Amino acid sequence: MTLPFVEMPGKRSYPPRQSDFTIKFWQGLADGVFQTTRCVKCEKLSFPPKPICPHCWSKETVWETLSGKGTLYSKTTVHAGPAVFKEELPYQVGIVDLDENIRIATRVLGDAKLDTPVEMVILKYEDGDLYAAR
Amino acid sequence: MTNNVAILGGAALPVGKWQGSSEDETQHLEHELLAKLVMDAMEDAGLEKSDISSMIFTLPRPYTQQKYFATFMANYLNLPCDGLVMEVLGNGMTPALAFQTAVDQVTLGRAKVALALGVNFESATSSYDHMMSSMRATGDVDFHTPFGFTPISWYAMDAVRYIHEFGSSREELASVAVKNRAHAMHNPIAQYRKPMTLDDVMAQRPIVDPLGLFEVPGRADGAVCIVVADEDVARATGKSYARIRGAGFYHEGAHQINEVPNDMIAFGSARRAGEKAYAQAGMTAKDIDFAELYAPCTIVEVLVSEALDLVARGEGGRMAAAGETSVGGRIPICTSGGLQSRGHPAYVTALYSYIEVLDQFRNRAGGRQVEGAGVGMTSAELGNYNAALVHILEAVQ
Repeated sequence: MTLPFVEMPGKRSYPPRQSDFTIKFWQGLADGVFQTTRCVKCEKLSFPPKPICPHCWSKETVWETLSGKGTLYSKTTVHAGPAVFKEELPYQVGIVDLDENIRIATRVLGDAKLDTPVEMVILKYEDGDLYAAR
Repeated sequence: MTNNVAILGGAALPVGKWQGSSEDETQHLEHELLAKLVMDAMEDAGLEKSDISSMIFTLPRPYTQQKYFATFMANYLNLPCDGLVMEVLGNGMTPALAFQTAVDQVTLGRAKVALALGVNFESATSSYDHMMSSMRATGDVDFHTPFGFTPISWYAMDAVRYIHEFGSSREELASVAVKNRAHAMHNPIAQYRKPMTLDDVMAQRPIVDPLGLFEVPGRADGAVCIVVADEDVARATGKSYARIRGAGFYHEGAHQINEVPNDMIAFGSARRAGEKAYAQAGMTAKDIDFAELYAPCTIVEVLVSEALDLVARGEGGRMAAAGETSVGGRIPICTSGGLQSRGHPAYVTALYSYIEVLDQFRNRAGGRQVEGAGVGMTSAELGNYNAALVHILEAVQ
């Protein structure tokens, strides 16, 4: 299961760091894979992906690919933003409830309405990837 | 010792632009401003320097020149202390945590009199540059910040969700800002005091949809000193004071959003913290005469007043538009003018709330005076009200 790609101009305004652990998530985006971790003990999913389970505090988690399908919970358009985002203004951000019952906050493309289905896409910048809902 | 704690005095700088730049021939110095407030507050309390045994400071912004501020001030004031001298940080809750820590010093018997105080200098740094720091505070640096979330973008998403769920209108939310300005017009330490209409609010440029310039807090400098004391000490002064009747804190264990979908705009932490404060005070929302709530944006005031049972769920915007939350209305909220008009020098903002409570209890609030103000409520928050600290205070004449 891979997500659609959207070509973006230029570089990411504020690139995320990656750890030995989260690098799997960011490298997965390059292949269109949107994934997170599931606890081996209590079997709950968590996002962002973590080497620990925040629910039962187990230290054993496994990677699992997400469907990339969800529902838009809320959104806004940012007209006044931090210095590094000045070139991108205005831009939309939002909160998405994924079908796997995980809430994430992300970029939003297009004009999706609240409580309607959205799909996750991979944003391909010159220097790496981010993701968004549309 | 009754183990009750009182707010006995306070002094505050008018909210506005105080911080200078290196270009200026002379600048306001943070410690000069605060030292004078300490003396004004102690005079207001009717106490002597030697009565103080603890000072809890809000952490200054990184743009403040003097570092290690608490211990620097202990020297500047030549004030030896048996109780704690320290600085507190908890983003928007910073001043309320400084206040609570000062109260705790008295409750624990470490001090008979403690100060909660601080300076917030930030106006010399542009909003674009300031947001480079604040964007890393309100979200996950690696999984939220890269998308460009700003602190108030989370509140904007509260507003969009609220309008969607409850059918409240843009105008109803904007009426909160109009109400707060009407209060601030009577507050000599408020930052924005010119008359303002609903049309004025609606005509502003958008900042984070649907919130425009006048529905979000401006940036400002400020400084406050609050004197808290054991109630026996307060009583002996013969002055009126604010007795702390109840306090409640709750953190929902989430930062901005809960990874398990929940009702984000129920402000569950404010509800839990409020329930604890009501229970300790033996009171309900009906007993509250006025509330000075920490609400950076119009929508936040609506949501927190609903979570604290001051207005009915889904009705906060309409209640504001109908005048129920104005001075003279059923439950006056943010009589100081709130964060939009009294102003928002973030790391000391909530200390201004206790100043307002004292002004109301001592019947010195002028045109914004709540008649018969006997019980007041305050709140402060972290994140998107992911944590809340709520106090209930009672006037003792």
